[in-house]
Amino acid sequence: MAQRAEQTEPVSKFEKIYGFLSRHFNDILNFLSRDRYKILKVISINGIFSTIPLFIVIIVSSVWLQDIFIEDFSNKWKWELENTHRSIESFVDRKQSAVSFLASALSYEQLMDPMAMRTLLTKFKNEYKDLVDLGVIDADGIQVVYEGPYNLQGKDYSNQEWFNSVVVRGRHLTDVFMGYRMLPHFAIAIKKDLPERKTFVILRATIDLETLKRLINGINLKGNDDAFIINHEGILQTNSRSHGKVLEKFALPMSLPEQGPWFGEIPRFWKERYFFGYTHIKGTPWIFTVIVKSPPKSIIIEILRNKLILFFAGLSIVIGIIMNLWMARTVMQWVKEAEQRKEAAVAESEHANKLASIGRLAAGVAHEINNPLAIINETAGLMRDIIEDSEDFENKKKFLKLVGGISDSVNRAKTITHRLLGFARRMDVTPEVIDLNDTIREVVGFLEKEFLYRSIHLELNLDENLPKVKIDRGQLQQVFLNIINNALDAVKEGGTIDVTSEVKDSKTIHVVISDSGDGIPKDLLTHIFDPFFTTKDKGKGTGLGLSISYGIMKKLEGTILVESEVNKGTKFTIEIPRKPHIF
Amino acid sequence: MARTKVLLVDDEVEFASALAERLQMRNYDAQAVYSAEDAITVARSNPPDVMLLDLKMPVMSGMEVLKYLKQYIPDIKVIMLTGHGTVDEGPEGKSGDIFDYAMKPIDINELIEKIEKAKQKHAGN
Repeated sequence: MAQRAEQTEPVSKFEKIYGFLSRHFNDILNFLSRDRYKILKVISINGIFSTIPLFIVIIVSSVWLQDIFIEDFSNKWKWELENTHRSIESFVDRKQSAVSFLASALSYEQLMDPMAMRTLLTKFKNEYKDLVDLGVIDADGIQVVYEGPYNLQGKDYSNQEWFNSVVVRGRHLTDVFMGYRMLPHFAIAIKKDLPERKTFVILRATIDLETLKRLINGINLKGNDDAFIINHEGILQTNSRSHGKVLEKFALPMSLPEQGPWFGEIPRFWKERYFFGYTHIKGTPWIFTVIVKSPPKSIIIEILRNKLILFFAGLSIVIGIIMNLWMARTVMQWVKEAEQRKEAAVAESEHANKLASIGRLAAGVAHEINNPLAIINETAGLMRDIIEDSEDFENKKKFLKLVGGISDSVNRAKTITHRLLGFARRMDVTPEVIDLNDTIREVVGFLEKEFLYRSIHLELNLDENLPKVKIDRGQLQQVFLNIINNALDAVKEGGTIDVTSEVKDSKTIHVVISDSGDGIPKDLLTHIFDPFFTTKDKGKGTGLGLSISYGIMKKLEGTILVESEVNKGTKFTIEIPRKPHIF
Repeated sequence: MARTKVLLVDDEVEFASALAERLQMRNYDAQAVYSAEDAITVARSNPPDVMLLDLKMPVMSGMEVLKYLKQYIPDIKVIMLTGHGTVDEGPEGKSGDIFDYAMKPIDINELIEKIEKAKQKHAGN
C-alpha cells in the first residue's frame, strides 16, 4: 500500500526532466559520440578555418574603410567650419567697412547732430538690418550722441577695455558683453581723428547677436551636435545647445593653437565618443567651434543596412553552410568507407589465417582417424563376410544389422575426414575455358531428383550472352554444389531456389543463388564461413561446405557474398573474375 | 584358373590381416605383411599379380618400397593405399609407377574393381 501511495505522488517538471536525462544519458552520449557529433565537429572546424580569412578580410577592409569614412567625415566638417568662418569673417568685414566709411565720410558736425544721426541710422538699417544702434563717443569716453532703442546718451565708456583699445588701434571689434543695456551684444568702434580740433571721436555701431546665431545655424546639425562661438578665454559668445548660455565659461577639451580649421576625435572627454572642431575667425576675437556627437555609424552597420548586401551575405552563408555540410559528410563517408575496407581486409586476413590453421589441424586429425577407421571398417566387413557365409549363424539378421550400423557410421566418419582433407589440401587450380551457364546446368542436373522429390521450384535466369571464363571447372562446380545443397536444406517443400547469372561489370560475373528459406539471423551470418559452423541438424552437415567454397573462391580470385533476412530467405552472390581471362 | 595373387602391405596389422582375409573369402590369393622389409622379401621371392601398398609406413614409405621393387619386378602393379583422402598429397604422390589409389577406409567392392583392372593390365603385359 505504501508503495502504491509513493507511486501516485505528483512529480515535478524538474524531476521529470531529470528522470528523462538520467534514463537517456547513455543514449545522449552515444548520439554525441556517433557520426553526427563527428560531422558537427568537422563542420565547426572546417567552418572556422574556412571563414577565418573571410573575417580577416572583412575586419581589415572595415578598418580601412572606416578610416576613409572618418577622413571623409572630418573633411566635410572642416569644409563646414571654413564656410562658416568665411561667412562670419565676411559679415564682420562688411560691417567694419560700413562703420569705417561712415566715420570717414561724415563731418564732425554731422556726427554730432542727433537728427542727422537718426536719419543716417534709418537709412543704414535699411541696408544692414542687424544694426541695433549708433553712437558717438568723445575723447573722454562719454557717449555724446546716441541713436537707438536704449537710453544710453551720456554713458561713460572711458574705463572699458574696448574704448582704450580703439583709442590706441583706431578700430575695435568687441567680444560679446552685457554693457549698460544688460543684454549680450557686440560692437564695432572706429576712431575718427579731428586734427583741426586736436581731438577725436569714436563712432560705435552695435550689432544684433541674432545675426551671428543665424550664421552658425546655417550648419546642418543633428541630434546632440553643437555649434557656437567662443572667445580666446573660452567664454561663450553665442548660446550652446548643451554647454551653456552666452557669456558662460566653456571647458575647452584641448588648447586651440592652430588657426584652423581643425577637426578630430577627442577620446572620451565627456565620457562619450565625440568629434571636436574649431577655426579662429580672422580679424575677430572669436573662435568658431563645433562638437559632433553623432559620429558616422560603423561601416559594417552601414553595409548591413544595405538589403542587397545583406541578401548576398545571407546567401553566401547558406551556401557556405551547405558546402561545409556536404564536404563534412563526404569526408566522413570517405573515412567510414576506408575504415570499413580496413576492417574487412583485417577480418578477411584473420579468416584466411584461421582457415589455414584449422585446415592443417584438420588434415592431421583426419589422417590419424582414417587409419583406425580403416581397421574398424575392415574388421566389421570381415565380420559381415563371416556371418553371411555361415548359414546357421545364430541371430544372423540381428548381427548383420549391427555390423551394417558400424559400416554406416564408418562411412559417415569417412565423409567427414575426406571433406576435412579436401578442405585442407593444397588445391592445384587447373583453369580451362568454360561456359558458366553450362557448369550451372550440370550442377543443377546432379540435384534434379532432389528438386523433383521435394517439389522445390527451380528458377534459372541465365544470361545467354555471358562471356566465357577461364577458371577451374571442378572447383567452381563444388562451390555451386555446396551452395545449392545448402539452399535445398534451407527451403521447405514447395519452396523456390533461384539461380541467376549476369555480367556485373567489365571485371566480374555474378552467379546469384537465392532461396525462399527461413533466412539466417544476423548474429549467425558472420560465422557461416567459419569451419565446422552449421545450423543443420546433428549428422546432416559437417559445417565445412561454405568454408571450402569460400577458400576455393579466394583461390580463384573471386569471392562469395551473403545477404539474408529471417523468414524471407538467403542470397549468395558468387563473384567470378573475368580478368585476366576475358574472351 | 589360378587365383590372383595379392600382396597386402600395411603396418596396421589388424587392418591388413582383416582385409587379406576378406579378399581370401572372395577367392583371392591374398597375403598380408606388416613391414616394408617383409614386403620386399615376399615380393621378390613370390611376385604378386597386384600389390596393395600403404603409402605411409615407418622405416620405408610405400613409394620407396615401390621404387626398390621396380628394379626387380618392373611390371609390378601397385595400388597405393592412403589415409590422406586424396591421392595427390606429397611430392611423390603423382608417380606414374602407381597403377591406382585407394583411400582408407576402403570400400571392398571398389577395391576389387581396381584389383581386377590391375590384374588385367598385368596379364596384358
